[in-house]
Amino acid sequence: MIDPQLIAQLLVAGVVLGSRYALIAVSFGVIYSTTQIFHLAHAGTYTVAAYAAIVVANRFGAPLWLALPAAAAVAVAFGAVTDLAMYQPMRRRSATKLAMFLASLGLSIVVSSLAQIVFGPQNLSLDRVPNQTFLLGNVTVTTLNIAEVVVGWAAIGALLLFLRRTQFGRAINAVRINPQVAMAVGVSVDRIYLLVMMIGSLLVAIAALLFLMGNVAFPTMGLDPILIGFIAVFLGGTDNVFGAAVGGLALGLATSLSGIWISGDFASAVVFAILFVVLVFRPQGLLGKAAL
Amino acid sequence: MAVYGTSRDGDGTDIDTGRPAIDRRRLLLKGAAAGAAIAAGGRFSFPRLAAAQDSSPLNAIFGPGGAVGGQGKTVQGGMNLAMTGLGAFFGEVMSKGALLAAKQIKAANGPDIVLTINDHQSGEVPPSVNGVRKLISQNKISFLQTSYGAPSEALIPILQQNKILTFNGGGASPKQLFQDFLWMTRMVFAYDPTPGALTWLAKTYSDAKRLATIGTLENGVEALDQLAPKVWPDVSKGGEIVAKEIHDVGLTDFSQVIARVKATNPDAIFTVSFGNDLGYLVKQFREAAVTVPIVGIEFTQDAQTIAGAAYDTFVFATDYYDTANPNPWNVEFVKAHNAEYGKDPEYYGANYYEQVFVVWDLIRRVLEENGDPTKGDALQTALIQKPVFKSVYGGDASNVGEMTFDTQAHTIAKPMGVFAVKDGKPKLLEPIPTELVPPKEKSA
Repeated sequence: MIDPQLIAQLLVAGVVLGSRYALIAVSFGVIYSTTQIFHLAHAGTYTVAAYAAIVVANRFGAPLWLALPAAAAVAVAFGAVTDLAMYQPMRRRSATKLAMFLASLGLSIVVSSLAQIVFGPQNLSLDRVPNQTFLLGNVTVTTLNIAEVVVGWAAIGALLLFLRRTQFGRAINAVRINPQVAMAVGVSVDRIYLLVMMIGSLLVAIAALLFLMGNVAFPTMGLDPILIGFIAVFLGGTDNVFGAAVGGLALGLATSLSGIWISGDFASAVVFAILFVVLVFRPQGLLGKAAL
Repeated sequence: MAVYGTSRDGDGTDIDTGRPAIDRRRLLLKGAAAGAAIAAGGRFSFPRLAAAQDSSPLNAIFGPGGAVGGQGKTVQGGMNLAMTGLGAFFGEVMSKGALLAAKQIKAANGPDIVLTINDHQSGEVPPSVNGVRKLISQNKISFLQTSYGAPSEALIPILQQNKILTFNGGGASPKQLFQDFLWMTRMVFAYDPTPGALTWLAKTYSDAKRLATIGTLENGVEALDQLAPKVWPDVSKGGEIVAKEIHDVGLTDFSQVIARVKATNPDAIFTVSFGNDLGYLVKQFREAAVTVPIVGIEFTQDAQTIAGAAYDTFVFATDYYDTANPNPWNVEFVKAHNAEYGKDPEYYGANYYEQVFVVWDLIRRVLEENGDPTKGDALQTALIQKPVFKSVYGGDASNVGEMTFDTQAHTIAKPMGVFAVKDGKPKLLEPIPTELVPPKEKSA
């Protein structure tokens, strides 16, 4: 007989983890599905957001309500500069996707190395983050858990609304489906690429800041979440932003609920087993191709 | 790889000794003093160069510099550390400790110990093996300071084949014991303090019977598999292990582990998790309203940063390094570390600092026997002949501490204790008696 308390606690943990993965996956998915760039430097954006918050809140003593948006703005600027200074010149020179991937990988390494040089390898935590634990029967949940779920899904919902209901959103969809045709009808592809890079950076910054509020910043903090984000995108469907969110949630739930039967050190094996099965039997991803 | 040497600063100050370089005025004063001594009618003889220059407080502890202290000799050493990745914190504190030691030794008119660092990227075996091969073939190292369990275990055949005297003051594991050329300078990770930790737990919480254990497969697995199931029922008078949770190294989200442990309703938790993982573990258990005692086997300031106030509910057992230890060498070490890096040394920094002084002592002994101190086997022979060395652990206000290697198991004997964390800092609760340290067996 499986303990109902165990199932309930793992379900709560799975929803929290899945929400984190979903937000990261969507942030990567919106960039990848539009630009087709395997944007590994997203790990750098995640790191930049966290360290920017540390600097603004801890070193300048700004309150959290100011530090967190300021950090997100820095991350958005970083994403924009990455596109303007790296991807756009490479596109103009007809660089291959592999070259862009390698440049992106290099940038992510530069960011983590710079973070280590400037801030040191030690963990840095955000000062004055309130957190409270609630007991729902025997199941525990914290205010930061709730924030992670609520803010994460609100951000995903806002993105989907933006993509479906606004002129910019429709332009992004047009570029995603066929950049040449979009250009022919007057859409600036470079501007759309810049826009999705900024949107993706904003979303990953939110994910990074939610993580930071309950944890710490360290130089290599971006790599693992972004890798999970990649997997979630491929799980949900590479051309489908909502699919990426579903992929992220599914990964989080599967990772957590697998704990009913197996030990935690098999969690990463579970993630890759799911990816393997989906790629073999449904290579287009769980939700397949769809409009953004 | 980074090579670290020592040099003279441009402003006329010897950066190794911190003393002003000799100038014309000082030379005249010294000449006048010598002249006065001759004029006084005494038999003037030039003192030995070493004695004339020894002004480092370390000479009073380790003996004179100069020729007998290895001055003029260059000995190449290697460090195999986690300089990048999740364990970069360990690499930083370890390398800082060792580099400070090399600098102090040169300043004390000892040999020029040049340290070259290889990055094993926080426990990866291939960069460890490849990097150390380069240290041996290109840098011609005589000794190595390694860290972590798996990347050090993988080096054993290479070290033995090339006769490289090696010390591990980080991830000392049972598989590294009884290995020629490989010596532990800390108590064996998790294995040695586990009986003491569980004994303290059973004594302090006499109602605790149901124990949950948590750890990784990287280090400390023997403590969970072999020791805890044997020791806990005995010391708790009939208690049982109700959960054994293994997690990945570098885990930041313990929600699954917490749910599984909570479901077993334990009276106490014993963990051999280490590094940042331990900070996340303690913090998230407390956030999940798990209030039972959590006992571990490590303390780092970095993990404390992660856990914050929750760490004040944490107890650990280890050979903890105490910056406030009044041992004269330790006082000098803490002072020098603060002057050099602006902060107190950490446990791992102290271990790798000590190792370089062990090497200096060995160089001195090899030179006394007219041997070649750049040969790893000569250094090891000297170690086995007299396995007692000075230590920043133990001792008191008038005496430097001592550590003694076990020449069979290649382990070290250092004082251990059970510590509580109060206001983020460890406080000794009680020492662990030496009889609680488990015997070492080759099969362990």
